[in-house]
Amino acid sequence: MKQTSHQFTQNVTRALAEPTLKIALDRTTTLLRTRRAKVIDAFEEYAEARATAQKIKDHTLDNLGHYLRQFEENAIASGAQVYWAETPQQARTVVTEICRAEGAKSATRVKSMLGEEIGIGEALADAGVERVETDLAEHIIQLAGDPPSHIVMPAMHKTQEQVAELFAKKHKDPSTEQDVTSLVSSARRELRPKFMNADISISGANFLIADTGSFVTVTNEGNAELTTTPPKTHIVTVGIEKMVPSLKHAAVFLRLLSRAAIGTEITQYTTFFNGPKREGDRDGPENLHIILVDNHRSDMLSDFLRPMLRCIRCGACMNHCPVYSAVGGHAYGAVYPGPMGSVLTPAMTGIEGSKDLPNACTLNGRCKEVCPVNIPLPDMLRSLRARQFEKGMPSGMTKWGLRVWAALATRPALYRLATAASNVALRGMARGRGKITTVPLAAGWTGSRDLPQPEPGTFMQQYKKGRR
Amino acid sequence: MSRDALLAKIDHANAGRGDMDVKAAADALIAEPDRFRVTFNDQPLYDRFVEKATSETVTATVETLDALADVPAAVAAYMAARDLGNRIALQPRESLTALDWSAFETAATAQMNEVLALTFADAAIAETGSLVFRTGPDAPVLLNFLPLHHLAVVRRSAILPHMEDVFDHFGTSAADQPRSLNIITGTSGTADIEAKNVRGAHGPRFMHIYCLSG
Repeated sequence: MKQTSHQFTQNVTRALAEPTLKIALDRTTTLLRTRRAKVIDAFEEYAEARATAQKIKDHTLDNLGHYLRQFEENAIASGAQVYWAETPQQARTVVTEICRAEGAKSATRVKSMLGEEIGIGEALADAGVERVETDLAEHIIQLAGDPPSHIVMPAMHKTQEQVAELFAKKHKDPSTEQDVTSLVSSARRELRPKFMNADISISGANFLIADTGSFVTVTNEGNAELTTTPPKTHIVTVGIEKMVPSLKHAAVFLRLLSRAAIGTEITQYTTFFNGPKREGDRDGPENLHIILVDNHRSDMLSDFLRPMLRCIRCGACMNHCPVYSAVGGHAYGAVYPGPMGSVLTPAMTGIEGSKDLPNACTLNGRCKEVCPVNIPLPDMLRSLRARQFEKGMPSGMTKWGLRVWAALATRPALYRLATAASNVALRGMARGRGKITTVPLAAGWTGSRDLPQPEPGTFMQQYKKGRR
Repeated sequence: MSRDALLAKIDHANAGRGDMDVKAAADALIAEPDRFRVTFNDQPLYDRFVEKATSETVTATVETLDALADVPAAVAAYMAARDLGNRIALQPRESLTALDWSAFETAATAQMNEVLALTFADAAIAETGSLVFRTGPDAPVLLNFLPLHHLAVVRRSAILPHMEDVFDHFGTSAADQPRSLNIITGTSGTADIEAKNVRGAHGPRFMHIYCLSG
């Protein structure tokens, strides 16, 4: 996808003016938060599970070279071919070459964020291969021509009504009813023949198991297995940080992943893959290619961003982020949206083109609180801001504003006078209506929401009167 | 950058961090699994399995049978009740194929729009109400994914408490692994449209489990 993080402010303005987006985001993030809270409350051992998961990831990262070598050896022994790619370009080249060598015409794909990250669509297009997205949400956005807006629910920005309209236009045999069940049936009919007739299947992996050479996918739809079984060749693209030491270590994460992501105890389908089709097997791919992708992960290892490599891509941070819930995933203009994206995008694509992202955060701390592997997202976003300041990146206006604020904040009498004056001014602007719709120089705030009318008197004035 | 250069870069970034005995360090982290997983000490495995498998989120149905030989009649009743005809995709596993299927039209592989398949689960997980399938020449993958109705047989004695027990039971080394280990928890679902849960996304819309008491 074309990155537009550099125009975050314009993206946000557009997103806030889009009424159906707000409806879609509210409906979905509210449900996801409620479901997660319920299933985490019922998991009495959650705190210990979370601490254990963090320790396992930290241990694996500390010994990453060892585990990568071990994984490679076991995967090759199982019959897979293993490739290493430092950049998205290198990964795409491997994919394109495999497709060309196979003379492939069509590829079915199970969504993976790594695939988005390296631009897998481009690699398939270069090889002249038709790409068929099989995850329902990816199918929706492929038909709509949209990029994903959430890492677990890529079509979160679409309402049911919009999907109904889209399917009616694009499906060969659309359902006549527009309820969600009928829409899902329509997609099932559309995709069945594609599963069976593709030449190549493409997937990611949620986990790599070092001591068996296995990789793991989790889905609720069953599309991973339906995608990767019929085609002759299966290509896996996966980030090197997905490693865990053994099968039993993976079990710890499987308990956390779907709880954090969608509020269920386990996903419907969890599959451990080991190599290509074996002698006597009636189905399965003849060729299995695993591409291990770096894309700046090795840089993050020796950086303050190291804890970000614990991330298991559950999306809980974005579901609980007030900024994400207001503007949606597209505004971030990058593959990874929300709090985790605001850390990953600068790390993977440079801080210059994504300078607004670390600042699009209220530091409320919810993202860290709900993170199943305890990633200190607010701290890292703050550190990224500090790094920007050191590089002299904040604008002249920001620096001027900070200087004015510093001058006031270090002079208490002046500060109180200024806040008292603005209190009177804002109350005047509200004209007793309880809200303020426009404030001079603050159209950026009031353009998409009202400011509440302040109480009479500043905090200090009220405090002195003994009112709380 | 080649494989070796990338690994060298990773080793350099990790200088002074790695463990002397990596395996011992990794094993120590999960030495006491009951501290970090759901426990259900007082509840019998079978009760826990049924409770979870038939829960609102898993949506399977469970029927108890005395013996394997009772399966064909039970399948016939299931199909008759839903007017599904008499064709079944039957896993080519001897324990199943040896039964009397004379009243059915059977096939060893599933077609694109297969209505119903019957397969034998190698184990079940009480914690989550899941079934465990290990692929092999007599256990292809697609039988568990293509049909609209997935019927599965599992022995009561094969219900294990946790996923970790499945790994222990079948072996944890690379050589012990089947090509594909499918852990299936109920029916295919999606919440991709406004987070509303719908069944039968790509895989089965119905799962019915025959639990053999013997």
